[in-house]
Amino acid sequence: MSTEPSLAEIGGRGAAADSARFLGRAIGVIIALASLVAFAAAVILMVEKLMLINDPGYVPSCSINPILSCGSIMESDQAEAFGFPNPLLGIVGFGTLAIAGASVALGVKFPRRAWLAIQAAVSFAFLFVCWLIFQSLYRIEALCPYCMVVWVAVFALFTYVTLFNLSSGNIRTPASLKPALEMAVRYHGVILTVGLLAVVLLIAEAFWDYWRTLP
Amino acid sequence: MTQNAKISLALVFLVILGGITFFSLESGPASSEVAENPELVRADSHMLSTAEDDRVNLVEFLDFECEACLAQFPTMERIREEYAGRINFAIRYFPLPGHSNSENAAKAVEAASKQGAFEEMYVKMYETQGEWGESQDSKADLFVEFARELGLDERQFLNDVNDPKTAERVAKDQADGNALGVQGTPTIFLNGEELPSLPSYEMLSEKIDALLEEK
Repeated sequence: MSTEPSLAEIGGRGAAADSARFLGRAIGVIIALASLVAFAAAVILMVEKLMLINDPGYVPSCSINPILSCGSIMESDQAEAFGFPNPLLGIVGFGTLAIAGASVALGVKFPRRAWLAIQAAVSFAFLFVCWLIFQSLYRIEALCPYCMVVWVAVFALFTYVTLFNLSSGNIRTPASLKPALEMAVRYHGVILTVGLLAVVLLIAEAFWDYWRTLP
Repeated sequence: MTQNAKISLALVFLVILGGITFFSLESGPASSEVAENPELVRADSHMLSTAEDDRVNLVEFLDFECEACLAQFPTMERIREEYAGRINFAIRYFPLPGHSNSENAAKAVEAASKQGAFEEMYVKMYETQGEWGESQDSKADLFVEFARELGLDERQFLNDVNDPKTAERVAKDQADGNALGVQGTPTIFLNGEELPSLPSYEMLSEKIDALLEEK
């Protein structure tokens, strides 16, 4: 132990341990809630998609103005990245995750392998969402409100599942990274906030011309 | 409150504050110009219907690539048919920056109007929107083909499309729209009053009937 306190120690060792305990207690609830929200959004998107398929003139409930427009998003190629509508992936994936999260919240102990599978799932979701954000902002140039709900949920899922797996040892970290990890666990909310604000800023920048026309 | 929550909240406030500051500094319509003395209808505005009196003035700001405008199109065609010669119905260009071919389409319609085919090209654009809308590539060539199909003089059409005056004419409509607070399309004004987004046929005809019966 060095005599200089590490950043994590300024608030006392207790704070870092508290945060880790908080994560351990809350992770199930966080996964369940975020997955449920994303699941609901995926279901709505799927329903809107079906309506659109049945009636090409249908204007989706979330086509509010030129920028907030599900219609242009849903009709894009990117909306079927794997050859079938993306929401299908969400319905299956988030549905499964919601059940897993609820089980954890109710006290079921998952083995390390299960946690690594959840980590793989949310990591894939995170990468996919990042790609979708890029496509939405810079290729399709429109935003779809329900999709943005999924973005937020996936950011939360990825942040918290990763932090939990790192802090609980499911993903092993070298001792030298321990202080950094403790910091990250203590400031879990800051990490998620920074991620989400980054997306907000990208949106503001990408559609600046449009926002400017609003009075 | 934990430090985690404090820092997260502080970041959110910082971004909001920064956004507001930046916004108020730069605010004002994006697309180049705002008309100084905006008019809903100008002498050179294209009329789909002209009445002998001035009792009903219907003005639609539209974008040929906008899906909501396409959704509104059948309603407006029904109104035009129903009230031909009894109301003034003007179309104003309002190409949105988010669409790649909005500007091209508006210029094509304006060029067609030079050969007396405003109506035909206006209808053609909406009938074919599915074929060319949402494309990232220029569809200028396809619009020349439309002109040919409508029996227009192709060379004259091309001259008019490329004439800077045509672009100016479109920009002038847009400047009026900007000044009148048009934010998206379609924006429909009835006797100077902006109607709610995507008015139904019933709502429009009810209002128009009431105006026609006045005095």
